[in-house]
Amino acid sequence: MWQYTLKRIFQGIITIWFIATATFVAMHSVPGDPLSSERATTPAIRANLEERYGLNKPILEQYVLYIGSFLKGDFGISFTQRNRQVNDIIREHFPVSATLGILAVTFAALGGVLFGALTALYRNRLPDTIIMFLVILGISVPSFVFAALGQLLLVNINNLLGFSLLPVAGWGTVGHMLIPALVLGMSTMAYVTRLMRSSMLEIIHSDYIRTAKAKGLPAARIFTRHELRNAILPVVTVLGPAIATITTGGFVVELVFAIPGLGRFFVQAVQQLDYTVIMGTTVFYGAFLVTMVILVDLLYGWIDPRVRVQ
Amino acid sequence: MTTPLLQVSDLHVEFDTYGGTVKAVRGVDFSIEAGRTLAIVGESGCGKSVTVQAMMGLIPMPPGRITRGEARLRGENILGVSSLGGREVRGAEIGMIFQDPMSSLNPTMSIGDQIAEPLIVHRGYSQAQARARAVALLDMVRIPEASRRARQYPFEFSGGMLQRAMIAMAISCKPTLLIADEPTTALDVTIQAQILDLLRDLQNETGMALILITHDLGVVARMADEVAVMYAGRIVEYGSVEDVFYRSSHPYTVGLKAAMPSNDPERQHELRPIEGSPPDLFSPPVGCAYAARCPHSMQICRQQPAGLFGVGEAHLARCWLQHPASPHRPAGLTLGGHGHE
Repeated sequence: MWQYTLKRIFQGIITIWFIATATFVAMHSVPGDPLSSERATTPAIRANLEERYGLNKPILEQYVLYIGSFLKGDFGISFTQRNRQVNDIIREHFPVSATLGILAVTFAALGGVLFGALTALYRNRLPDTIIMFLVILGISVPSFVFAALGQLLLVNINNLLGFSLLPVAGWGTVGHMLIPALVLGMSTMAYVTRLMRSSMLEIIHSDYIRTAKAKGLPAARIFTRHELRNAILPVVTVLGPAIATITTGGFVVELVFAIPGLGRFFVQAVQQLDYTVIMGTTVFYGAFLVTMVILVDLLYGWIDPRVRVQ
Repeated sequence: MTTPLLQVSDLHVEFDTYGGTVKAVRGVDFSIEAGRTLAIVGESGCGKSVTVQAMMGLIPMPPGRITRGEARLRGENILGVSSLGGREVRGAEIGMIFQDPMSSLNPTMSIGDQIAEPLIVHRGYSQAQARARAVALLDMVRIPEASRRARQYPFEFSGGMLQRAMIAMAISCKPTLLIADEPTTALDVTIQAQILDLLRDLQNETGMALILITHDLGVVARMADEVAVMYAGRIVEYGSVEDVFYRSSHPYTVGLKAAMPSNDPERQHELRPIEGSPPDLFSPPVGCAYAARCPHSMQICRQQPAGLFGVGEAHLARCWLQHPASPHRPAGLTLGGHGHE
């Protein structure tokens, strides 16, 4: 088990290094640099700035410098935001994105498993038909539509009630988080529902459920001890990548609900070719995702004994 | 006559499918006494598994349906009933083991926990008590290093060991009846013998009755006291193992015996299957279901279903040849006492 964990961590580090290198190469292949803004600069000023930020050094040397400072945990200073450390940007805004993302994944996982199990138990009956229709909606409608609709609905509800049930936008309290997280997790929830439904249907008809029935176990115990744990395995597998897409893909939802997440900085940085911020946020996100995937793998081993020994 | 341990009478089971209604079991009667072994024999699809699964309430309904009949354990109906006087039927009164031990155990639960489960549910054992008992049961089914093995998972066991674990699980609550649905079909021959020996020993120790479902006549000869031969959803011959083997009274039983491969090349060098195939149970034939394949079939066989005729004491055959007025006396078939010399 320990050997497996160490191996996964080592693989993770290689992956992060690869992400850093690929981002560095891609970033420098794009024409222009952080200094090429609309404001005209004289060649002398430009040379000074290049000297100051080390942009005049050979590309390989810059690369080594970057990797070196990453290893020290320093992502450098932003080019475009005055006097702001990339570390500070991440430290201030990532917790917001992460909270939103984790809440969204939790909604998606719990809701998906619940609805999936429900549809399987009520297969081809009314609850199944209704939920599966909503699932198709959830998968096909993009998140910004849900975000706008969710916000509109919230406004109407608040108007109707005459007081603010939940805040429409902003950040700070749990109330601010609920609707954005739900919107953000919607498509994943729909996907997990479908996955859970098919995996439950397979397991309900398996030989070992027949055995459990022959043992005279109550239906509730068969469901919790025998069906759920086995049905949940494929769901756990997709949860890692789901955390990835949700946390990085929260940008649109963050924008609609005016949430000060990291997504905004990420997009801005790419537009302005803010080298340090691009590198910092990308490598940080990469590391975050790799960590999540490793955690999910370890969780999988905990649920399924067959994975543990290999 | 005292009430038998289990009495099944006139059991009918149907399944609704897209193609129509399959009449899988069409009136099955049998009984079994405590401590005895009844073998139910027949080819695939003859309804032998459906019969016992219906008794155990394991048939998914829908599409399945028990349209008629009853099963009584010590005189009390168990069809559609989950407990008798506070004692659960499934898992406590009747234990059951299945054909494929590899897929019949939960892959994500330790063997010990799976054996302990019925004890916790039916007997109110604590987790620790049940675990300890599970180890003792594993020991009883001759699994070495039982306490270490109890913590392992099904994928760490071989097929034969899994079937032993299944048996330990089925007998954990000391059932009065154990149903074994083709317990050795998925195992190789040497392991088969071990499992059968184990079942017999456990039966001697605990005095439970055993219903053994199989299509292997070798297993029947080795294990059974009574035999019920099933064909197309009905019992066609019923009797003691000696009666059914040495005084076979239904052409189907004779055909089954002849189809059994022999390892003596002098006597037989090719398989002798029964010609034809079993009838379509969507619309079973009006007369005897075996008539189309029977070498001795008569006109009446196709027109009217045969009743059960007594051949000897407690030996029954569902065949018109056994009718006192039957004109035929085929060789190799024992006929009942009805006036022939």
